[in-house]
Amino acid sequence: MKRCIFSLALALVALVASAQIKKPELMVIPSDVWCINNGYYTEVENLGTIVKVPNYKQALQENMGLKLAIAKLNDLMAERGFPLKSMEQELKNLEQRRMEDNLTTSKAGNDLAESPLDEVARTAKCDIILELSWDVKDMGPKHSLSYILEGRDAYTSKSIGAASGTGAPSFTADVDVLLEEAIVANMDNFNNRLQAHFEEMQTIGREISLDIKVFANNEAGIDLETEFGDDELIDVINNWLQLNTVQGRFSMPYASENVANFTQVRIPVYDERGRAIDANGFAKSLAKVLKKEPYNIPSKVMVKGLGRAVIILGEK
Amino acid sequence: MKKILFSLLAFVLCLPASAGLRQKQANRDTDQFRYEIECAGNAIQGTYLVKVWSYSKKASVAENQCRKNAVHGVIFKGYGGGQGCVSQRPMASNPGAETQFEEYFKSFFADGGEFQKYASIMSGTTETVKVGKEYKVGVVVSVRKDDLRKALEAAGVIRGLNSGF
Repeated sequence: MKRCIFSLALALVALVASAQIKKPELMVIPSDVWCINNGYYTEVENLGTIVKVPNYKQALQENMGLKLAIAKLNDLMAERGFPLKSMEQELKNLEQRRMEDNLTTSKAGNDLAESPLDEVARTAKCDIILELSWDVKDMGPKHSLSYILEGRDAYTSKSIGAASGTGAPSFTADVDVLLEEAIVANMDNFNNRLQAHFEEMQTIGREISLDIKVFANNEAGIDLETEFGDDELIDVINNWLQLNTVQGRFSMPYASENVANFTQVRIPVYDERGRAIDANGFAKSLAKVLKKEPYNIPSKVMVKGLGRAVIILGEK
Repeated sequence: MKKILFSLLAFVLCLPASAGLRQKQANRDTDQFRYEIECAGNAIQGTYLVKVWSYSKKASVAENQCRKNAVHGVIFKGYGGGQGCVSQRPMASNPGAETQFEEYFKSFFADGGEFQKYASIMSGTTETVKVGKEYKVGVVVSVRKDDLRKALEAAGVIRGLNSGF
């Protein structure tokens, strides 16, 4: 009897723990315009055009104002229960992991298995990007600071909200003081928008993007126009999304026989068993349906974070 | 002599009653948003600096009411910006919060209520203007908004940024 009660209590605790929505990770990065204006960029030739690419590492190592701004933002977000992911630390960890992976070998002398895609995926990642920029304007002896903080969903690229403004002109205060003032004064407005975004997510589901692709010359011999009864495979997927998204909310801006892109897909934050799900879990549910009769389509689900998933059909 | 004594006694008895009536009127004015709130400059972290204009037939009642109005304004009204000041939205994003949590706010804004913990008057900032038969009194008030938010979150009036996660 005691064991039964204990197991029941454990199951209840597990259910409560799992009933929390997956918490997005937030990271502050300096905006492209700030990096370029302050000389923190590298020039890269891309198809004959010179492109300026922000050099975040250099900016974080050399600009004290940026470090101060990130520290202040982190302080204010931690106060609201949302500590930020540190970009500087993330870049250091990546280097460390890369170094460790390069030096890791088995006793037989084999290196770690890594596909080129794994290599590309090894970048600093987060779910919501907080893009920060500021500029100091001089008006005679006075100077004032213009400040922009914009939140963007890393998967859907949608703006979550922004806080911006120009502070009162000052004769004496230095840039760091003006920057700190601007951050403190604007943070509540930014957090209001962030909260509205989270509340919307909890009401009408998490917005994700889902890409369906097909392996060329796959063993299953299928593409998105393969027919199952009266429906093509793309219709089967559409019907499944219609039933499994919140209020049937999704759009398909592009589809061909090989690729279908679904955007603004509103997925429930919990599955039918009350467990928190993200884009990966949602994509796996679809892949499981396609794997069964009458479709029998093997697929590969690629994890891209909380808000983006890719299913490649035809093979594992 | 008796008549004089009686009049004096009646006058003394009426004094607190009339002060109480004025206070009640001032409270009703707050309920009806009869006050003005504006930004008074950049404040230190965790606080808002606001200037509140309150109305009463007695200047001292209006001045006292400013603290209550400042907290009320930060929760339900928000304020505009300009001249280097940043505008702020009301802390309670739900417009029906005051009615929904009527009992809570009744005791919160009662005379000597919890609101006092979150507002302090900046000394030497009082401005008094006579408008018709009453006074319009402006005072700069520092509102401890971070502590206020935490109290409202704990009471379930507003949701925390990380609630649900």
